[in-house]
Amino acid sequence: MVSRDRVLRGAAAVAGIGSTPFYKRGTSPHGAMRLVLEAILAACADAGIDAHEVDGFVSYANDLNEGLAVGAALGVREIRWSTMVWGGGGGGVAAAVNAAAVAVATGQAENVIVYRALTEADDGRQSYGKGHFPSLLSAHGILTPVQICALRTQRMLEVGGVPPSALEALVQASYHHAQQNPDAVAYGRPLDHDTYADCRWVSEPLRLFDCSRENDGAAAVLVTTAERARDLRAVPAHVLSGAQGGGPDWSESAENDTAYTSAGFHPALVARLWEGAGIKPGEVDVVQVYENFSGPAVASLIDTGLCPPGEEAGRFMTLPNLVAPKGALPVNTAGGNIAEGFLHGIGLVLEAVRQIRGTSVNQVPGADVSLLLGGPMAPLVSATVFGSAATL
Amino acid sequence: MAEGGVLMGDSADGGTGLVVVGAVPAELVAVVERHGQVVAAGDNAATLADMRSDRIGQLIGSTRLPGSLVSSSLFRLEAQPDGLVAAWIRYTAADGSTTVLRSRWIRLDEGWRVTQVRNVPEIPPVMPAAGPQDSGLDDPHWEGLRAGELRIQRCARCAHWIWAPRPVCPRCHSFDLEWPVVEAAGTIYSWTRTWQPFAPELSGHVPFTVVLAELPAAGQRRLLGVLCDGGDADVRVGQAVKGEIGPPPTDGGWPVLRWRLA
Repeated sequence: MVSRDRVLRGAAAVAGIGSTPFYKRGTSPHGAMRLVLEAILAACADAGIDAHEVDGFVSYANDLNEGLAVGAALGVREIRWSTMVWGGGGGGVAAAVNAAAVAVATGQAENVIVYRALTEADDGRQSYGKGHFPSLLSAHGILTPVQICALRTQRMLEVGGVPPSALEALVQASYHHAQQNPDAVAYGRPLDHDTYADCRWVSEPLRLFDCSRENDGAAAVLVTTAERARDLRAVPAHVLSGAQGGGPDWSESAENDTAYTSAGFHPALVARLWEGAGIKPGEVDVVQVYENFSGPAVASLIDTGLCPPGEEAGRFMTLPNLVAPKGALPVNTAGGNIAEGFLHGIGLVLEAVRQIRGTSVNQVPGADVSLLLGGPMAPLVSATVFGSAATL
Repeated sequence: MAEGGVLMGDSADGGTGLVVVGAVPAELVAVVERHGQVVAAGDNAATLADMRSDRIGQLIGSTRLPGSLVSSSLFRLEAQPDGLVAAWIRYTAADGSTTVLRSRWIRLDEGWRVTQVRNVPEIPPVMPAAGPQDSGLDDPHWEGLRAGELRIQRCARCAHWIWAPRPVCPRCHSFDLEWPVVEAAGTIYSWTRTWQPFAPELSGHVPFTVVLAELPAAGQRRLLGVLCDGGDADVRVGQAVKGEIGPPPTDGGWPVLRWRLA
């Protein structure tokens, strides 16, 4: 009998991916809605389905382009599933994939699009932080996510004993991978140690290069049943498991979260993630870890048991260990939010899928298990494990 | 002046009132004096040319100066342990008011450049957002600050300390919540020094340090606040801090809690 924890395992798959370019912020030639439509049409074309067949829409982080309006614009035949993930900014990215997977796994819908668009013209600057900075923070000049993540990272370094080199290694790996990705904003702009070490502080202990960017653009993935995905054009990236949430005393607490230096992937959530996928953390071949900032991404890898805590994190988090094709744990193989571009993390979803397809520009040979981690140190965090057909 | 073109402190440069501390390259005096002059003259192109090119945006947003400057006066140069040289320049405005900026200079291949700059003395940013939230949940906290007291939410039934304020006790689900006055003292749980002027109100106040202090008097609940004089401070987790509540701003705004190393 299938464990109750595994009802989702293998039931849904990503069958199509699509993206606009990552435009420099403020330079998109079109508004966000147009970009969403372009991304969805690209994802449907990639899958080989008619966009009129889309019957569900999921987004996160209060995307301005409501699913019903997107569906109306596309002239879809029917909308059967419409979901916005509450809270957590980029922490909702994998939760959105999971919501789509749940919809198709339970027969609520068949072709569900997960999407996210950002443009400075429509969303303004720093749209990722809107609504999360009440006066108990902003009265003290704490206005942006980087300052919150800096506070948490500082304690992780100073009390938790994680060396700053772990943060730099993650950044270096992102830039390294971006050099193979012509679509990345950092393509052709490699980063050396001196440039990293000499760049300006944003909010200590985070420097400029520890921070993701803001870009204009949109991306989408098409989630359908595993059965249907097998008949479509692309190699399916099967959803093995998904988890989302916040642990005890997590979020909306003006920096009183109990596990303060955690990324938010609390032990029960992590256990459900591995149990649901039927794998151990050691079986993960490649990770796309949301890096709003380098420190929280390192915390995510520690939370999920992929990287040891404390000083040991420095020995594990080295450039050779983190890069494809041969690293022990290749991360952010398209460059990630830091070096590919920032569309609230949706780009990480596409790259997690490419690794299962075998089409990444920094392919991990024979990758069967591809992990997506969303939104560290955000009010909500989420994760999805993708697997190849061989894992089913 | 010492041999090799290095000014040796502590010396005053004959008659100009310039105090030099430590080994400061002599060539820098003219560079910095000229910088003060172009800033005072409102010569933006020349001002920007003196700034380190990879951080011009951060630097120009870091300070606040009156619009109508009439003169500048370099009055202190100090060699610093990290190899930079700090320069204090007093700017005088048309109305006679003065503003002091402390710039820190680095020698790059292209010449001496400003790599950091700030208004001195350090004044914590005053944010318009200070005050109760629309929900009213934290009203007693802010009213307490106005009365010069630190009030934190606590459950009247089970004595659980609650922060951020909530409409119900998350432990026993009582709606009977109280706001006792607590001693504003604790230890630093974490901290960050912010250099980027994220909003116009931060210009003239960066870098500033915010600490998250843990309060023994409130069940180890943690409260944020700017650390007074924290811009240059050697801050560490675990240091003791004392709270300070300033007088209410005269414009009807709200006072805020600040921390100071104890």
